[in-house]
Amino acid sequence: MARTPKSHRLTIGNTRQTIDCTVNQTVLEAALAAGIDYPYACATGNCGTCTSRLDFGKVTLLPRNDACLSPQQIKAGRRLPVAPVHAATLRSPG
Amino acid sequence: MTASDKRNLACKKLLADVHAITAKEGITPSALHALKLKLVALAAKAELFPLADFAMPVAEARNHPLLVEDNDGLGLYLTISRPGKEAAPHDHGIWCINAAIAGRERHKIFRRTDNLAQPGYATVEQVGEVMVEPGSGMAMADHDIHSTLVVGGTPAVGLALYGYALVRFPSVAWYHPQFNSVRTMPSRRHAAMA
Repeated sequence: MARTPKSHRLTIGNTRQTIDCTVNQTVLEAALAAGIDYPYACATGNCGTCTSRLDFGKVTLLPRNDACLSPQQIKAGRRLPVAPVHAATLRSPG
Repeated sequence: MTASDKRNLACKKLLADVHAITAKEGITPSALHALKLKLVALAAKAELFPLADFAMPVAEARNHPLLVEDNDGLGLYLTISRPGKEAAPHDHGIWCINAAIAGRERHKIFRRTDNLAQPGYATVEQVGEVMVEPGSGMAMADHDIHSTLVVGGTPAVGLALYGYALVRFPSVAWYHPQFNSVRTMPSRRHAAMA
């Protein structure tokens, strides 16, 4: 019997929807899979369309995925949902 | 003469050669191939591009302008991207040439396969792959679609020549095969310039 991948709870603050995000998914992938119209374009951290505000919890920024975020934006809690997530509440740019 | 002086002269010579080729031939496949050979030859002169002259990116990537023309907008850049840096398939609307100084960057080439009837929807199919590494380069026409990934454990350092300066890119169309999507966004690449 296949084991279910470990997942984290994620709340999209704008829509107040709580979804599960597996360890193999990015926030964006989990949100789109749940039918949430999350703004994005490149999905690889280059264009910045999906830059979101982290209200609570922790999102892991992969080194390859933060090109369009300045250190000031990161300090201000901005995150990219193309990164893996721990339990978190994000507000999308939409 | 300093390395910087020599570099500036070599870059100006390159752009003079670019103008000579494009004035005679226009932007054709053979012209782009000729431009690629010129850029590969310049990138082979690694002594002109000592990394000490160019700041390494803190996280992902950085573009250093080497020569940007005011009138017609041609842009020549030294780009540094750390291992793992990736970009989804995209079309930046203008021809470009890449040549490696150091490191390796894998470019996958795609073609669009849907009928463009549904806004935001697109399917793409990979039709080629080029590893840009020292001694090699690649050329893309105005609306070619490519993705990039820096492979190996060292940064990819290269030269990039565009038909527009980055700050003049009107937009970039991003394709995402996983989501069957296309999103056209204003270019932000100028923000990554040093």
